[in-house]
Formats: sequence, structure tokens, C-alpha cells
Amino acid sequence: MALILVGLNHRTAPIGVRERLSIADAQLPVMLTELKAIGGIDGASLLSTCNRVEAIVSASNEDVIDSIVKWLSERSGAHRTSLEKHLYVLRYEDVIKHLFRVASGLDSMVVGEPQIGGQVRAAFLIAQRCGSLDSLLERLFEGTMRVAKRVRTDTGIGEHAVSVPYAAVELARKIFGDLRGLQALLLGAGEIGELTAEHLNGFGLRQIFVANRSHESAQQLASRFNGQAIYFEGIDPYLATCDIVIASTAAPHYLIEPPQIERALAARRMRTLFLIDLSVPRNINPDVAKIDGAYLYNIDDLQQVADSNRELRREKAEKAETIVAREVENFRHRLVAQDAVPTILELQQRLESIRTAELEKTLRKLGPITAEQRESIEMLTTQMVNKILHYPILRLKDSEPHERESLRETIRKIFGLR
Amino acid sequence: MSPNATLYLALAFYAAGTIVALATLFARGRHAQHAGLALMIGGWVSHTIWIGTICARTGHPPLTNLPEAASFVAWTVFLAELVLFIRYRVHAASFFVYPLVLMLLTISAVVREPFAQMDPSLRSGLFTTHVLLSTVGVAALLVGLAFSTLAFVQDRALKSKHRGALWEWIPSLNVCRTLSYRTLAVGFSIYTLGILAGILWSYRTTSELIDLRVKQIGGVVAWILFAILLQSYISGVYRGPRTAVISACAFLATVIAILGIHRV
Repeated sequence: MALILVGLNHRTAPIGVRERLSIADAQLPVMLTELKAIGGIDGASLLSTCNRVEAIVSASNEDVIDSIVKWLSERSGAHRTSLEKHLYVLRYEDVIKHLFRVASGLDSMVVGEPQIGGQVRAAFLIAQRCGSLDSLLERLFEGTMRVAKRVRTDTGIGEHAVSVPYAAVELARKIFGDLRGLQALLLGAGEIGELTAEHLNGFGLRQIFVANRSHESAQQLASRFNGQAIYFEGIDPYLATCDIVIASTAAPHYLIEPPQIERALAARRMRTLFLIDLSVPRNINPDVAKIDGAYLYNIDDLQQVADSNRELRREKAEKAETIVAREVENFRHRLVAQDAVPTILELQQRLESIRTAELEKTLRKLGPITAEQRESIEMLTTQMVNKILHYPILRLKDSEPHERESLRETIRKIFGLR
Repeated sequence: MSPNATLYLALAFYAAGTIVALATLFARGRHAQHAGLALMIGGWVSHTIWIGTICARTGHPPLTNLPEAASFVAWTVFLAELVLFIRYRVHAASFFVYPLVLMLLTISAVVREPFAQMDPSLRSGLFTTHVLLSTVGVAALLVGLAFSTLAFVQDRALKSKHRGALWEWIPSLNVCRTLSYRTLAVGFSIYTLGILAGILWSYRTTSELIDLRVKQIGGVVAWILFAILLQSYISGVYRGPRTAVISACAFLATVIAILGIHRV
């Protein structure tokens, strides 16, 4: 049995090629049926995300690779030769390792990104629903999801934000914990400020107030968050009621000065205030950071957080690679052992039937014997059979994938199994 | 088997648990944190057996002398930490609570005078109430201080924009402050009731409100400092470094009060 993966990803193919091969979720059942219909394929699955398209199949032999490449080239409308230079083909152990790495986020454009785990799971569920998986692929996907979960739990690889808006969210959560029920004030309509507010809003903010020089723009932006537009000149009362302030305007001077924050904090009874200044030039006087209860981060601070998180992810990725390597080995052993089970059972049954038949013949020849004597003979023959079986079974279980098939065939021939 | 065998076993577990937990400051392994917690729980079970042995042998709560009181405070501190861990999953508190528990039980092991029979004059419900409430109150206050320290460390990290070794382990600033405030408020209330019961018992037995010895002075100073700390939380006028200084002084006064318990 061969396990094969044919695909391309963000490293091997430009977006122009990836988008031609990309498969929408709704199309997946039809594509899976087509793929499985290729002669020699026993089980098929497709993983299609914005960064990769991969066909993972189990087949009786490796001849199917050519057919898969042909199928991919036909459905993408690309010349086979031009497509082939972007494709990679993986076999057996490399497929297992690749899938484990992909689902753990180790092969992603942004290492450790969490979405890919869900995408692999979705690919598995769709293939399962379509009935295109065989037992080998079922086990592979189940193992993959288990490993991905383990990597994330043990290393916490996806926990740290690697973009400025997410770094702001991470810091907000480090200050407030739960963001639900909090209020935010967005000053200006800068793109990054808007993005940050959007990410924060995703964590369940109660209300977002938007202030802009142009009140019309403020209203438009506020409607996106179901927020409320306020006048720029009247922000002071909102500093006292909002927990997070995001400044992202083009103003060439400070819009928020320390006395405003001192007054706001006094009114808040010293409840913490998180200020995010994403503007260049800065809109919040840096002296605000000296006030107790106010936490001020500018764009450079957030970039630094994102950079150090990236470094942290790299460290965690190394640990994750070790886990993946160990899990690949474990999975391979389990797979080999499970694959060998039918042959082992057949072998045991065959030898047991020989033992029983020969024992009966001998006992008939011997005539009457005591129960103890019979038990001794039974034990002797059983032990002999077990000893004979020991090494063939051990070799079968420990064999490398490439030699297992021939070993199994040899054993079947030697012992006369069907 | 020596009745103190369970004490030494608890001490060994606590020492191992503390070392493993502190090692995670560098290794950042969640499994190691869990292993540290498991060792501490093992120590606590053994500790419980030792306390039970004292109660069974002497017929009174294990609060007669310094080793017993220190041991009971350690036992209660870890119980409070365990309850808070189960509820809030705050790993970082272990960096302060585990060494504290270890330190208190080490006092019990070094100063060997457990299993002392209680002076008959002390066998009164009011006295037992005083000692029990004071001990439980002190334990809660110490846990409150641990969370207050975490809040301080987190505040400094956020202000300085430099994450320390504890960054990943400490929950949000709000959680630290809320837990610190709640445990301090509960501990302070219980501790105050304990002091009042002690004053009442003292007045009944000696006609004096308070006998000013080291433990009493330490206890009263700690009470005042905890009151200031709590007041700063309630009024919302906490200041990072100021809170840290008061917390450190309150901790010191509490330790002096505990060490002052030679014989009640």
C-alpha cells in the first residue's frame, strides 16, 4: 500500500498558479469523487487553502502519481510541464510528517497560525462525508489532528500575536483579561487603527465610539462596528468611560495630553486605561505613559511586541518540530503494527490448527493418558508454536514500510497462508 | 514509624515541587508546572496526615506552638492556592506560594516541639476561635500578597514594555488585582475577627486587652498595613511601587508575628 501526496504551496507556486488549482468547499465532493475514480486509488482527500492545494491518496502502487498530476493539470487548465515545476510529490513517511507539520502550522506562511488546524479538520470531515477515505487515510487524519492539538497545547505556538493589530489585542487581553463589556474610543480613520478596532471588536467589546475630523467619516466607520460617532472636540468625557483608546489620525500634533488622562483616571477611580497610538507623528503625548493606571503603546512598541513574538514562535517551532518527529515515528510504528495484524492473526491460526491436528493424532496413538500428562503435552506444543512465531511476528511489526510488503508476502508463502 | 515521618515526607515533596515550579521560569514547560503542582499536592496530603496525627495525639487543633502554627498556616496557604488555581488556573502564583509553604513547613521541621500538650488554661472555645481565625486570616492575606506581587510584576512589565520571565505565566492585570483584592478582603475580615476574639480572651483571662509581646506587636502592625493596603484598593488610589512597599512590610510583620509564636 502506497501513501502519496501531490501538491503545491506558497513556497513552490506563485498565487497565479495556486488560484487556478484552488478548490472551493462546495466543489470538494465532486473533486474527491473524480480523484478517487482514478484507477489504483483506494482512498483520497484534498486540502485546499489560500496557501496550498494538496491531494493525499492511498493507492495500491505509485503508478497513480502520473494520473494525479494529469488530473491536476487538466482541472487547472495548465500545461503539464509548466505545472510540474511547482508540484512536489511525497511518499509514505514524508506524507505523514508533512501533514503533521501542516496541521500544526509549521509549514504555514506565518509559522504557528492557528487557522490551518481547522482547515485540515474541515478537509478530513468533507472527505469522510463523501466516503472517499479508506482506513489508512482515516487513521492518518485522526493522527494528524491529535498531533496538531498536542503541538499547540504543549508549545503554545499560536498564542502570540505577530501583527501590529493582533499585538494590540494581545496587550489589551493582558491588561483586562476578558474584553467583553469594555468600551473603546477610536480617534481618526487610519487604516491600521480601523483594523485594530475591528480585531478588538471581535473579542466582544460592548461599544466603540468613533471620532474623526470629518463627522461623516466617523459615522460611516462607526456603522461598521455598530458603534457611535462622536464629535472630535468632545472626546474628554469618553476618555473617562472608555477602557481602550486607539489614536490613528493624520494630525501633526498631540491630541491627548497628560492632564486629560489624569482627569479621566480620577473619574474612572483609577480603573486602568489602555492607550494605543498608531499615528506618525504621534497623537498621544508620551508623558501619558508615566501616569499610573495608564498604559501607552505606540506603533513602534507594538511592532516590537510583534517582532519578539515572531522570535518566540521560532523558538517554539523548534520544540514543535521535535514533537512532530517523535509523533511521526510513533504513528509509523502503530501503522505498521496495525497493518501486520491480519497476517499475524492468520499465521497464529494456521499454526494453531496444525498444532491441534497433530496433537490429536499423537494422543490417539498414545492411548489413555492422565489429565496432567495431557496438560504437559499441550503446554509443550503451545510453547513450541509460540517460539516459532516469535521472530516472524517481531520482524513483521518492526519492518520498514518499504520492506514490509515483501516480508509479508514471504511469510505468507513460507507458511502457506492464503 | 516516627510520627514526624509524614512531616519530612511533606517537606521533601514541597521542596521538590518548589524546585520544579521555579525551574519552569527558565524552561517554560507546562508539563513541568503540572509536575510541580502534583508534587505539592503530594506534600499537602502528607502534611494533612501529619496535622491529623497531631490532632489525634494531643486532642486539640495543631496551633499550640510555633511549629504547629507555622505548619497550619502553610497548610491553609496551599489549600487557598489550590482552590484559586482550580478556579482561575493562575500558574504564576506558585512562584511565590510554593516557596512560602516550603519556608513555613521548614520552620516546623527545624523548631521541633510539636505534639505539646496544651496548657489547661488555654483550653477555651474563645482561645481556639482566636487562633483558628487568626491563622486562616493570615493564610488568606499571604495568598493575597502573592497575587498583589503578581499584579505589581505585571504592571511593571506593561509599563516598561519589557516582558520578564513571568510574563507568560501571569494572567491579566485585572485578574491579578481582583484576586488580590478579594483574598485580602476575605483574609482581613477573618484576621480582624481573630484579633477581636484574642482581645476578648485576653481580657477575660488577664483583665488586660492586649499583652504586648513580639507576636502581638507584629500581628497589630501587620493588621494596620493590610488595612492600608486594602483601603488603597477600595479607594482606587493604589500606586505600583507604594503598594509593593506596603505589601513587603506587611509580609515582614506577618512573618515576625508567626516567628513570635514561641509558646502561646
